[in-house]
Amino acid sequence: MISNRRFLHRFFIRLGLATFTLLALGPVLWGVVTSLFPLTSLTSRPPDLNPVNITIENYILVLDTSRGLFSGLINSFIIAFFTSAIGLVVGSMAAYSLARLNMPGRNKILMMILATQMFPGIVIIIPLFLVMSRLNLVDTHFGLIMVYLSFILPIVIWILKGFFEGVPMELERAAAVDGATPLQTFRFIVLPISLPPLFATGVFAFIESWNEFFFAIILTRIDVKTAPIAIAEFSGQYTTLYGQMLASAVLASIPVVVLAIIFRKFILEGFVEGAIKA
Amino acid sequence: MATLELIHVVKKFGDFTAINDISLRVEEGEFVTLLGPSGCGKSTLLNMISGLEDVTAGEIRMNGKVVNQLGPYERDVAMVFQNYALYPHMTVEENIGFSMKLRKRSKNEISSHVLNVANMLELEHLLHRLPRELSGGQQQRVAIGRAVIREPSIFLFDEPFSNLDAALRVKTRGEIKELHQRLGVTSIFVTHDQEEALSLSDNIAVVRAGKLEQHGTPEEIYSRPASKYVARFIGSPQMDIFNGSFGVTDGRLNYQIGEVGVPLPANFIPPTHPVDMGVRPEYVLLGTTGFPASVRLVQPVGPFTYVTVEWQGGSVTARVNGVSHLKVKETLRVEFNPEGLIFFDRETEERSDL
Repeated sequence: MISNRRFLHRFFIRLGLATFTLLALGPVLWGVVTSLFPLTSLTSRPPDLNPVNITIENYILVLDTSRGLFSGLINSFIIAFFTSAIGLVVGSMAAYSLARLNMPGRNKILMMILATQMFPGIVIIIPLFLVMSRLNLVDTHFGLIMVYLSFILPIVIWILKGFFEGVPMELERAAAVDGATPLQTFRFIVLPISLPPLFATGVFAFIESWNEFFFAIILTRIDVKTAPIAIAEFSGQYTTLYGQMLASAVLASIPVVVLAIIFRKFILEGFVEGAIKA
Repeated sequence: MATLELIHVVKKFGDFTAINDISLRVEEGEFVTLLGPSGCGKSTLLNMISGLEDVTAGEIRMNGKVVNQLGPYERDVAMVFQNYALYPHMTVEENIGFSMKLRKRSKNEISSHVLNVANMLELEHLLHRLPRELSGGQQQRVAIGRAVIREPSIFLFDEPFSNLDAALRVKTRGEIKELHQRLGVTSIFVTHDQEEALSLSDNIAVVRAGKLEQHGTPEEIYSRPASKYVARFIGSPQMDIFNGSFGVTDGRLNYQIGEVGVPLPANFIPPTHPVDMGVRPEYVLLGTTGFPASVRLVQPVGPFTYVTVEWQGGSVTARVNGVSHLKVKETLRVEFNPEGLIFFDRETEERSDL
């Protein structure tokens, strides 16, 4: 009876997970398939998905440096890299002090940081565009990095603050008794055990800015077009180059997928396990 | 090794007074336990001695020198934390050697010192493991090793056994005592466990709500508690304390508990104020003399059996050697050994027959 129930229980959990996986992966799979066929096969009715037609032509075409995708990938990389790097350095320091220092107005600061997240991008985009254009920051790497930081930083701060609060105070006290200066405590104790969450948060920030579309399409024109914009441009007024568009999408997702796999590994690791016997 | 003096030490957190004017002197090589329930301020006091908490008022002296302004490391103390606080990313070897690494000692020197300490604590075979790969008892020994390698003037222990199971706790207790006998380093040990305190200490300081309630040898604390609070806190099962009154029966002074008058020694001079009377189980004798009572509860604990008896208006627990064959509801006679009677002022709760 009990084992029967357990079996059913597991069955439904797995059914749910399978459905979710299918829903999530279906479009990706379809995208990969689409990217491997020439336009003519895709636009014929019904689509002609005969494996003999499989080609990597789309990939060759989109990787041509004269097309937008290549520079889009480079722009995306520069922006995502600096956004996550600056976000981590500034965010970890802010998070550590918010977690550890007993400063006045601490909770107000935290609420204000969170409050900035309550406005949808669409609300601020017009004034933001005006400000950026007055500052000559439209279509610059720096401008977009600043904008991305404005929504990445609060998330980084909140995630890391939660983590730092979980670092047992005793570890720092033990280090102090062992003779470590505050700087040595940070370097030898706090930093090493914080590497996994720092890395995970960095990857998260990277993926967020890599995928960002809305601000990018409004605040870039030619020079700083990011990959998502370059992909969208395959859809023109008269034709949509489905094969090339999806080939670009597949290429643009590779770095994110790789990072997500690493991210998962770090998230699953019990990084402070064994520090404290609870 | 060092002497330690606390002189009118006060610690306030905002409006809350955690430590309220404690003075205490610890001699060189002495093992002193700060004993009290959780929240009484004993850990705060330890943190103040270590330098992790600053002192609101008063002085802390080590070897006669005021150390109020010194950081933990400059005080030359080593501490074992309640939850061990092992560095999770370092191996046992690195954990123990961390303080030497900070002092920029050579690799060879560090590893030979670590090896010495590891031998002493039977950790040699675990040197390359991470803390999470160790059992609770092993983690505990690493935490002690990290303190021992410092060769400090004073050891501080903050409830180091509270995460161990009962058997391991008793074993580790013995190890700590042996370690203290071998190294002879002044030690301050914080616990809420009266048995730990009694078995380890040269002297016990009982702390209550930020104040020092009594300071004395385990024997003094157990046999001559300064207050009802100490009397109740020390000893298991607890001392029975009766809310009775003096009376005279057949021309003999006694202490009336319910229907029963417990005879007092002939030379006893009753105090003028109302008092409560306490007695520990080993001073309660069950047998054929004394007043009648019936058995309510029989609790064997191996070498002894604790038998609780009751009568109209009162009950008391007696300690009987070995296994008792008494049955519940059985009637017998009870006598109190006058040597074990202790009186407390009902108003102040302090001992009144000193």
